[in-house]
Amino acid sequence: MSIKSDSNKLLSFGVRIIAFSVFPMIWFLSQAILFREITNRIPRALLIFLAITIGSSFIFFLYAGMNKIISYAPKSYQEGLYGAMFVGPAIFLLGLFLFYPAIRTIYLSFRDKWGENSVGLDNYVWAFSDKIMQITIRNQFIWLVGVVTLAIMIGLIVAYVSDKLQKGEAVFKSIIFLPMAISGVGSSAIFKFIYAYRPPPLTQIGFLNGLRVTGGNDDMGNPCKNNIIENGRKIDYVNDGCTQPIGWLQQRDLTKFTSFENVTPDDSFFSWLVNFPLNTILLMIIMVWMYTGFAMIVFSAAIKAVPTEITEAGRIDGASEARIFLSVIMPYVKSTIVVVATYLTVTVLKAYDIVFVTTRGDFETNLLAVKMMDEFSKFLHFGRASTVSILIFISVVPIIVLNVFRNKEDEAL
Amino acid sequence: MNYTQKWYDKPISKLILISISLTWMFPYIGFLLSSFREPDAIKQAAWWTSIFSGQIFTEFTFENYTEILFAEDLSRSFFNSFAVVIPSTIIPITIAAFAAYAFAFIDFKGKDLAFLFVIAMMIVPLQMSLIPLVSIMNKGAILFGLPIIPELKITGTFVSVWFAHTGFGLPLATFLLRDFMMGLPRSVIESAKIDGASHLTTFYRLALPLSFAGVAAFATFQFLWVYNDFLVANVFLGINPRNQVITSHVAQLTVGNYGEAWHLRTAGAVVSMVVPLIVFFSLQRFFIRGLIGGAVKG
Amino acid sequence: MRKSLIGLLLILSMVAVACGNSLEGQEVIYFGAPATDGPDGQAIQSSFDQFTEDTGIIVTYVGSENFESELLAQIEAGNPPNIALWPQPGTVRAQAEAGNLIPLEDLGVDLEEYRSNFSPYLVGLGEVDGVPYGGAHAVNLKSIVWYQPAEFDSRGYAIPDTWDEMIALADQIVAEGMTPFCFGMYSNGATGWLATDWMEDIMLRTGNGTTSYDQWVNHEIPFNDPIVKNAATYLSQIMHTDGYVVGGSDAIVSTFFGDAQNPMFERDGNGNPGCFMHRQASFIPGFWPEDAKEGLGTETTFFPFPDMEVPSDTVLGAGDMWAVLVNDEATQAVVDFMLSENYFDAIASDVAGTGSTRISAHIGFDTSKYWSPTTQKQADFLKAALAANVFRFDGSDNMPPEVGSGSFWSEMTELAVQGPGYIDTALDTIEKSWP
Repeated sequence: MSIKSDSNKLLSFGVRIIAFSVFPMIWFLSQAILFREITNRIPRALLIFLAITIGSSFIFFLYAGMNKIISYAPKSYQEGLYGAMFVGPAIFLLGLFLFYPAIRTIYLSFRDKWGENSVGLDNYVWAFSDKIMQITIRNQFIWLVGVVTLAIMIGLIVAYVSDKLQKGEAVFKSIIFLPMAISGVGSSAIFKFIYAYRPPPLTQIGFLNGLRVTGGNDDMGNPCKNNIIENGRKIDYVNDGCTQPIGWLQQRDLTKFTSFENVTPDDSFFSWLVNFPLNTILLMIIMVWMYTGFAMIVFSAAIKAVPTEITEAGRIDGASEARIFLSVIMPYVKSTIVVVATYLTVTVLKAYDIVFVTTRGDFETNLLAVKMMDEFSKFLHFGRASTVSILIFISVVPIIVLNVFRNKEDEAL
Repeated sequence: MNYTQKWYDKPISKLILISISLTWMFPYIGFLLSSFREPDAIKQAAWWTSIFSGQIFTEFTFENYTEILFAEDLSRSFFNSFAVVIPSTIIPITIAAFAAYAFAFIDFKGKDLAFLFVIAMMIVPLQMSLIPLVSIMNKGAILFGLPIIPELKITGTFVSVWFAHTGFGLPLATFLLRDFMMGLPRSVIESAKIDGASHLTTFYRLALPLSFAGVAAFATFQFLWVYNDFLVANVFLGINPRNQVITSHVAQLTVGNYGEAWHLRTAGAVVSMVVPLIVFFSLQRFFIRGLIGGAVKG
Repeated sequence: MRKSLIGLLLILSMVAVACGNSLEGQEVIYFGAPATDGPDGQAIQSSFDQFTEDTGIIVTYVGSENFESELLAQIEAGNPPNIALWPQPGTVRAQAEAGNLIPLEDLGVDLEEYRSNFSPYLVGLGEVDGVPYGGAHAVNLKSIVWYQPAEFDSRGYAIPDTWDEMIALADQIVAEGMTPFCFGMYSNGATGWLATDWMEDIMLRTGNGTTSYDQWVNHEIPFNDPIVKNAATYLSQIMHTDGYVVGGSDAIVSTFFGDAQNPMFERDGNGNPGCFMHRQASFIPGFWPEDAKEGLGTETTFFPFPDMEVPSDTVLGAGDMWAVLVNDEATQAVVDFMLSENYFDAIASDVAGTGSTRISAHIGFDTSKYWSPTTQKQADFLKAALAANVFRFDGSDNMPPEVGSGSFWSEMTELAVQGPGYIDTALDTIEKSWP
């Protein structure tokens, strides 16, 4: 009997190994080799056809094969083995594609420029003492707090209000969700156009500067408005005394605005406001614009799942709408907020294209992900680049902890 | 839903909605309009000025689009994009769906640990694993002196991008689909098990169809993300224009520092937005229904 | 199921790799920073058309905005392009030191001939320990100021020969209610390089001229040396004197360098241009509006950067440099071609029709082949300077990247924003950041 159970254990161990490594490996290698070999041998159109058909369906053989193997295992072990089989390929791929590289990065963060010698904690000391790094960390914090709270708040409001509409709900939601379908590059191009700056005699084509130069009178008493070229002739409206256009993405503080012109950073209780990093906020808005739709759609779904009887019961009892929202709706969407916040946090920390396309980190707008690529490709410092990515990694630890607690709570329910 | 006039039918709530929607739509308007204006006109008068003066009609042109579309072999990039996007969407979803099922319905040793591992991988920054990953795909990987992956040399082929996107998309897919499946009625799955159905059967017959909406919803996400990505595609497909996907093609035309080429920048960006918008609107119903299903939990 | 999988694997592993070995049809990937679809990218590609026809070797030029990081990713992955084209020779040397490049000698290049064709100075920029890795490609001229002769003539302005004359002219223009300089240095991720160019031009003409310039670039004198401070003060005079710069000194950092000259081409209600002088390199016409491009050499042309404390013929320039990462026969043939005299024919005569104003680094190149007389003039200028060894390469490109594309850029940006009071802080900060 004990020999039998030992051999069963051995068998199940073998099946686990197969599920976690051998089968995924076979899938990985055969697909890789197949497509490598056919890439330059068959016509392009056929390649694209095969890529779409075989590339997508190959994975199913993996699971079918594993299922067959498990059916040979003793019944009592099968439950656990199925778990291993279903989870195995995911763990294998994550280990190979994300975990192994991450470990390598941690190792490199303690190494020098080319990763040749150990430098102890030097890179980490640099990360917190370098002036540009400090600003980068500050910006990352602003983005995290700003994007996550704004997207969740606006998303929740729109979801809640539009949910009750008799008609037009889909239209509103589509409008707000639309930016989600667009690439970061495209969105940045759109906002770059709004923030566009041209030196004063030229027509302002950016909306913000258009607004800024319009209104008020110049020193001669003529109204100020945007310069224009009409029929090949240029007409200047922005004269002395008018508000001059500014490069919005170059404004690190508010000193260019009339109310703050005479306030210096030290001599006023306004000082923290003067140092308001306008350009960072303007870039952050691009991301809020892009991701509010996501938050809204998810919240809208969660709110729809709240049983109507409960909210109606509340209304009949005469509870105010705000009270219903807080004490009936909120408990239902609480866990959804955590999901959305997790997703947004991770997305913000990975955000790369917005800053890359607009300022590429100039004028104190850098973010960790961009700074990391700069250290890697511009300054060729592998150690520092790795250290910066470790910082990104660390920033997200709190949200993981939050999720772990949430899972425990779910299980307790 | 036959309610009488309630607070939410009052003008104030509609006003909130309309003002938020207008704010959200606003950035598009000037951009879209400008893509139809003559190159010089864009610079000579601001777009809102030309609306007020009515000039917008006289300077209307499609030339920016013909310049973007026909000066280049854009169809090739479109096909490449599809060869990248479709498998890069299906593979991670398949793997994630199986894993999510196991996390939701199967009790096995090390489940919590495995799930924690998946979540932890969610936060590995893409940039952090990019370079080592390229190196795995080319030079293989050696662990403790043992070659665990042979030298494959697959960068520059589609298959390497599929793998990369699978790796990057998998944690989130697993996380969201598990959330979704946890919301499915557990009793249905339990009763299938009592009836003697295997997990594979339960998965194919019950869990997958029931969570189809969730899968479709995530598919839309992954499709949009892969289609809109240009960093991963550029790194893994290499630099040969034969392999170029639509985003990197358009990015080159639009992000390039070629003076004030706003007519190309706007038209190019608009062209790149067409496919994701079509996909989004045609899958929107699934998408929303999927998320509704996913949210059924207490 | 298992059987069929194993069978499939076997079939796959049996697929043998067989390749013909003639150069005909072999592909050489050439990767650089100018975008493939941009004017420079198209011009580079066009230079290989004839070569491909003659030899059958397919040269594909690929350019990317994200050149540096993509290239590094390819190198790290062991899958580099055959040839890469760097905008800064400093990076070529860094890559050579990292062991990623193949010395030109190993590619069968006759080094003696190469040095005499491209001047030892240029070749030296791509050398590590006396071993040349980089191939000189194109050069540009930076010591020039663009202006419009008709606007000067109609107002009786003379071309300034010295700095003082330039300042006097600027003051006169301001007094007449106009703006003398166009100055914009915003550049995605590289903001500040235009100010470093100004600094270099001034350094070449102040202190001990080229001697102190070379010492400064090689860090033999500190960055906060009085000579450098003096140069920065001159620059600040342009940037911070009221009315000198279009849009005021605030506009300097906000204006994209490629748009900076546009006010020069526009006329206000009184028929006055937005600015009169624009100091910028010879490649800038590529950024001009289409109609302004047509007036290159007639409506808009250039005068040499004015003399300062030390009169000299020294010319500041920059250029790009290629290097080989994969050594095979086809690449060697391409290298031979790129070092030959007629490599630049197609670019110079603008076969691609993009109006490229690139200038060959080859001293023997016949300058009459350039399509634009302006480029011809600039090329003659450069050729003479190279032959007389008074050509100096953009100093910031030759400083360590932490300074040359780091603190020097960012502190010059800071200087433009903060005003002349910031000069000392800026120079001290740069000095401290020197590795």
